[in-house]
Amino acid sequence: MVDRQDALLAQMRRGTLQYCVLALLGSDELYGFDLVRRLAGVDGMLTSEGTIYPLLARLRRDGLVESNWQESSSGPPRRYYHLTDAGRAALEDFRREWGRFRDAVDTVIEGRGRP
Amino acid sequence: MSATADRLVAHYLKRLNRELRDVPRGSRREIVEEIEEHIAEGRAGLGEEDVTAVRVLLARVGEPEEIAADARQRLGLPPRGHGAREAFALIGLLIGGLAFVVGWFAGLALLWKSNAWTTREKLVGTLVVPGGLLPAFLLLGLGATQCGGGYENELTGPVEQNCTVTFSLPGQVLWTALLAVCVVGPFFTTIFLARRMRRPAAVDYQPSPGSA
Repeated sequence: MVDRQDALLAQMRRGTLQYCVLALLGSDELYGFDLVRRLAGVDGMLTSEGTIYPLLARLRRDGLVESNWQESSSGPPRRYYHLTDAGRAALEDFRREWGRFRDAVDTVIEGRGRP
Repeated sequence: MSATADRLVAHYLKRLNRELRDVPRGSRREIVEEIEEHIAEGRAGLGEEDVTAVRVLLARVGEPEEIAADARQRLGLPPRGHGAREAFALIGLLIGGLAFVVGWFAGLALLWKSNAWTTREKLVGTLVVPGGLLPAFLLLGLGATQCGGGYENELTGPVEQNCTVTFSLPGQVLWTALLAVCVVGPFFTTIFLARRMRRPAAVDYQPSPGSA
């Protein structure tokens, strides 16, 4: 039962996590550890912290995010991420589509189908 | 910073690097470097560092296998099927015992290291039959020695005749039954394990969504 629930969450997370990352970066410039901490605060968003980094590598490769080094007051310099214009556009597309998609799913699973 | 904690982290990063070996070098280096930074950041945040806290930290970062599976999926690489390691495990278990016994132990080590099988399946692989085909060969050898002994005593007698003489009937039946088990068992196990072999759970592959 728990397994099935985990699998379901994993599947839903797979398609949406990258947009959650884009959304977080849309309002703030963040470094990896920070990003993980914010996602970990939201139930079910992140299973293991390390998996954020392959995702960031992919987003960077696709040109949706960029990173730059910044000095930190405590410890070594940090790699901060921010959205590119393409990243911002991808996030906007997702926001719009997600709203429609969520409404469509709600309509079906809550039985609010048209007569 | 304790030396043990440093060793734990170094070992973890080494495992991660190894698991990511089929990821293109640029991406691999990025991922490993950033996880290294992540761990350093986490350790800096620990008030008083003890080994347990570092273990917990590493557990939160995740199993290297899981991260690697995720990386392959995110970067659009095919999932790593169970390949060479598992094949060597099966070969080692089946006939490794004949290579001075160590081959079987090598196969056993690979079997238990792999995540392609459940613990129960690994137990079957270990216990049916320990040594693989080695016991069968030992039994055959035993039979041959018995016959050979008789043969030397009666230089002109045919081998078969001596065998029947040397072995009592119950002994022969037991020997045949044991031999059958020792031959069929390892083959059964090899086929069983080959069929039960699975891909890592984290990878039900689908191409990652294309960039916008």
